[in-house]
Amino acid sequence: MEIVVCVKRVPDTSEADVVITGKDIKKDDLAFEINEWDNYAVEEAVQIKEKLGGNITVISVGDEEAKEVIRRGLAMGGDTGIRIDHPALAGSDSMAIAKTLAAAIKDIDYDLVLTGAQAGDLGAGIVPVALAEMLGVPHATLAVGLDIEDGKAKVKRELEGGLMEVLEMDLPAVVGVQTGINEPRYVSIMGIRKASKKEIKLLDISDLGLLPKDVGEEGSLTVIEELSVPPVTKVAEILEGDPAEAASKLAEIMKEKGVL
Amino acid sequence: MMEIAGEPFAQKFDLYTCMQCGKCTGGCTVSLKSPLNVRRMMRTALVSESSDAVLGLKELWDCTSCGTCTSRCPRSLDPAEVIFGMRSLLIEEGRGVPKTIMEALESTVKNGNPWGRSKMKRTEWLQDFEGEVKDLTGGATAELLAFIGCTPSYDPRVQDVARAFATVFNAAGVDYGILGNEESCCGSEMHAMGEEGLFEMLVEENIELFGGFEVKDMVTISPHCYNAFSNKYSEYADVNFGVKHYTQFLAELIDKDGLELSKELGKVVTYHDPCYLGKHNSIYDEPRKVIEAIPGVTFVEMERSRERSLCCEGGGGMMWNEGAEGERTAVVRVRDAAEQGAEIIAVACPFCMLTLEDAVKTAGYDDQIIVKDILELLAESL
Repeated sequence: MEIVVCVKRVPDTSEADVVITGKDIKKDDLAFEINEWDNYAVEEAVQIKEKLGGNITVISVGDEEAKEVIRRGLAMGGDTGIRIDHPALAGSDSMAIAKTLAAAIKDIDYDLVLTGAQAGDLGAGIVPVALAEMLGVPHATLAVGLDIEDGKAKVKRELEGGLMEVLEMDLPAVVGVQTGINEPRYVSIMGIRKASKKEIKLLDISDLGLLPKDVGEEGSLTVIEELSVPPVTKVAEILEGDPAEAASKLAEIMKEKGVL
Repeated sequence: MMEIAGEPFAQKFDLYTCMQCGKCTGGCTVSLKSPLNVRRMMRTALVSESSDAVLGLKELWDCTSCGTCTSRCPRSLDPAEVIFGMRSLLIEEGRGVPKTIMEALESTVKNGNPWGRSKMKRTEWLQDFEGEVKDLTGGATAELLAFIGCTPSYDPRVQDVARAFATVFNAAGVDYGILGNEESCCGSEMHAMGEEGLFEMLVEENIELFGGFEVKDMVTISPHCYNAFSNKYSEYADVNFGVKHYTQFLAELIDKDGLELSKELGKVVTYHDPCYLGKHNSIYDEPRKVIEAIPGVTFVEMERSRERSLCCEGGGGMMWNEGAEGERTAVVRVRDAAEQGAEIIAVACPFCMLTLEDAVKTAGYDDQIIVKDILELLAESL
């Protein structure tokens, strides 16, 4: 199995006082990490490799600092890394990123491409779908289960209201991985240090046959016009009554909202 | 052979010296409720054919790092470190590590604290503090570095202790400063959880940080930070600063009449020895001296105290791990205190504060006993 996993380095904004600077947020004080969904995608790739053997390429579009998340993927069990960097990539939307990834992945003799279902920063969820279209292979998104058998992928997809869908696809294919598909292993600092011996190939867009106008704002279908912090709203309901009463009210609400 | 970074456990921990007497297991805080058998672990580490022998040993995560095994070993071996070493094999494997421990470690890599909080909020505890605290990262200078620690910086309850620290040290006129949001985890618990690479990284970063501010003397709130700086760092790097736990610093100050305490407390107080001051560092007298200097304190000892003290189960990563099922030793400890008629359990460790305060509620003593850090008692009696 030749597996490619796409990863992205994203800021953790969970506790940040988000400051908007033009069309981006101020990132100086933020801690960065691997996109949570991508972490599950890497683990899934490693588990498939452990079962079926093969090779894992960890790929990311990003500057020097993106090495950090590629190296983490290599420490988890990836074999080689690819980083794609070029000044013209700044301002790329999901389509331009998919274009860039597709240009790099098409030269690999891959069986399976895994991505996170979405990224924690922009949350568009476009890359796996667009990437599959550009590569001309089938895709599945929001995968919560993945089995590879006889050159086919059986994908369990999470739908609304607790419904599951099972798809069978021919390989090669692209699968967008949802969180919870597995339990990602711990990646130790020593493991990351050891993985720094593995190669991370650096590619320019020209290596991929792309021109500056193919990426960045010019090569994007969407352009960010403005950013704003959503207003804080308060929707809180205090349940009155004794514990039994309050609990049954709570259960009703949860049923209504589709939690139960 | 079971190896750690290429070195056999047998050699690194001198395991051939172990005579399998079992005093370690006999004194173990959790041996009554956990399958963890320290004596057997010593044997496993010695005779196993490969490091794979640790896989599946879930009980390794039940150790509270109290150090009773180490302090009682008649051959002066260090069984606690053997357990941490075995944990490190699981950490390197990446498997068999409790999820909550993984989260604490990942948070420390990312934020410099195991509590999942932002590095930029480290000085949050200062927000409601009215006195002045010098921040060395803002250009101030001071004779003494006050190392606040992760839990006093972030935990809402223990933030009170950080503020009490500042109140007491300000009242005594001590020239101290903090490292603001640049302070980072000391690594004590990372070492105990077996994340050796992370501990080494924190040692390097902290030594560089302290060097940059020319730190010569340091005082800590947590005994865990104290132990890391005082005993562990020198195994990894050159340490050019002196460190004291605040109880040591204040005991000296009291000797020199440097702390004026006037308000009568009027309470029966007992003291719970934190393992990282007591068993790990034999600091027993200083905290008691400080408590007894508070006017109107009737001091009582619990039946088990000093080197026989019972661990609260807050160390060794247990703040981020459920651990063995069964009655919490902190609950036993609260009953020990109640037996002596104590109204206040005085603590000198952030973890003891949290475990014992929980246990007071669980044991149903919340209308009778309160848990206070010694710093809080001092702040009240100024």
